[in-house]
Amino acid sequence: MKFFITVVWAVAGLALAAGAGCSAERDANPPSSTRIADPSDVIDQDLMIALGQAKNFHHKSKIYMTDGNLAAATASVRQILSLAFPKGAPEADDVRNDARALLAKLLISQGQLDEATRTIDEGLAQSQRESFFVANLYTVQGEIHEARAQAFDASGDAGKAAAIDARRQAIASYDRSSQINERLQKKAMEER
Amino acid sequence: MNAMQDDPLTDEVPDPEAEPTPAELAHARRFAALVDKTLSGRTPPAISADDRALLEVATVIRATHGNVELAPSQQRTAVEAALHQAIGERASGRSVAPLAEAGPQRWRRAPWLVTGASTLAAAAIAILWLRTPRPPAPRPAALPTEWASRSADSLVGPIARDRAGDASARLDAIFADRLDGFRARRLARGGKP
Repeated sequence: MKFFITVVWAVAGLALAAGAGCSAERDANPPSSTRIADPSDVIDQDLMIALGQAKNFHHKSKIYMTDGNLAAATASVRQILSLAFPKGAPEADDVRNDARALLAKLLISQGQLDEATRTIDEGLAQSQRESFFVANLYTVQGEIHEARAQAFDASGDAGKAAAIDARRQAIASYDRSSQINERLQKKAMEER
Repeated sequence: MNAMQDDPLTDEVPDPEAEPTPAELAHARRFAALVDKTLSGRTPPAISADDRALLEVATVIRATHGNVELAPSQQRTAVEAALHQAIGERASGRSVAPLAEAGPQRWRRAPWLVTGASTLAAAAIAILWLRTPRPPAPRPAALPTEWASRSADSLVGPIARDRAGDASARLDAIFADRLDGFRARRLARGGKP
């Protein structure tokens, strides 16, 4: 009788092991990397409204820059960062990063290097993926370091070491930007 | 006629519609008593050959009507004898287990047999279910790329350093491209957003 019970349990165990093996085999198959656009990902009215508003703020900023009113131009660009885009829209990241790049350049032109650095750092921290717009943020970051190096140079011999360090950081930022661009271009070539 | 009735096995068969004679009735009563005694195990030690022949016929007729049941011990004996004969006990050296013992032992194993069979069946069903490829879930229809909200990388491309602050021009391009997609989708849906 004991032998019979053992046989029953052994068969049950084998069945469970076979089932687990099948499940593991299924789990081992990676899901398809092909992504079908979800109906919620389409270009809708909300996205167009947000893009249109950002466009208007940029145009206002250009007019203010033409008039030499950099403070108003900066404020106009800053408003783009608070626009409500549809949740998860990739365009939102791109438009905000581009606005941050312009905002940082406006701040550089006004000598507000720390504020410019903070604007870029926030953009890099909030970015969900690599893009040409993220690479552009690193480019502007390099410009900030260059501007800071010039400021150290202007301060005399005391600032020489800091200026050299700032230039090294600028080179590192430009390198980072180039690396991202290269990766994205290579990826784009592979997908064609 | 009387001589004929004295030998019922060899005489002619009487007319079924004819009234029984007193001799026939007496013979029937005597034979009925003889049959009753035989069935109750009190067979007379000496009976005539004719009566014995009639008695055997009567016994067979009664048995074929299904009114005869062997005692349990006699049934087991008869079955065991048949089994012994069927498996050829002498040739194989195996013996048949007495039915009185074999029956209960077999029933004691019945729950385990049922459990084992159920487990095997469940295991087979589970394996078949897991190995059967399921039809893929219906996939949503692919949308045209130009209708989809997506990264603007492919539209803008790498941004040169001298164009780093040219966000307005890039946004104009993005807006125009997305507006095309938005309008195309809307037209395809009959003007519905």
